[in-house]
Amino acid sequence: MITKQLPNEIFIPIVIEELESVEGKTVTLPLRGFSMRPFLEDQRDKALLIAAREIAVGDVVLAEISKGHFVLHRIIALKGNRVTLRGDGNLNNEYCLTEHVKAKALGFYRKGRETLDSTDGLKWRVYSWFWLRLYPIRRYLLFALHPHIPQRFKRAKRP
Amino acid sequence: MKTKKGFRLRNICGENVIVAEGVENIDFSRIISMNETSAFLWNGIQGKDFTEDDLVTLLLSEYEVDEATAKADVAGLVAKWKEAGIVES
Repeated sequence: MITKQLPNEIFIPIVIEELESVEGKTVTLPLRGFSMRPFLEDQRDKALLIAAREIAVGDVVLAEISKGHFVLHRIIALKGNRVTLRGDGNLNNEYCLTEHVKAKALGFYRKGRETLDSTDGLKWRVYSWFWLRLYPIRRYLLFALHPHIPQRFKRAKRP
Repeated sequence: MKTKKGFRLRNICGENVIVAEGVENIDFSRIISMNETSAFLWNGIQGKDFTEDDLVTLLLSEYEVDEATAKADVAGLVAKWKEAGIVES
């Protein structure tokens, strides 16, 4: 088996086009990036997506936050057609309009498993309940879970 | 044999890939990709009842290859299609 990666700005519109081709169509999408840590891990996990019809706070959605720039993040606020998103592994928010929300995650395939962790399931809801309430200390939790020291603080290696 | 219904060949950034039609899920983590030759053969036998010999004839009509090589390649390709579950007898 060969793995190919395509640039998001080309690949994601194709995914969206397929999702919108038939009502109820779903797509399994391998995930990249670290912005949905700790639940979802770069290149390990997959999301099961469906075209977004109704969206709500707490949903994980695929949104085009600027031209050609797609993210799969959680909706943290919804006011009229204005959407606020934030990745579980991020400290910053993103903003877009409801029309930029293209798809919604029905669940996730994690750690190579074949069974879906549904967003309706207990595991996801319990995780979400705790993780969102821990936002004030998220910075420290993320560091504790995935410690890294920025290069500029590391002692220079001597030749 | 026949190609199984519910699959469509589409081009994504120069890759010929098989995607499921209708409400069937498309799993982009394990997608079937075809090179130019297999895509040509696949398109040539869509909706038909075909044999390996039909594929060999198609191959010989389009590519400069001797019959023995064509037969061997077609046998290998059909085996792969069967393994991938996109053709049925």
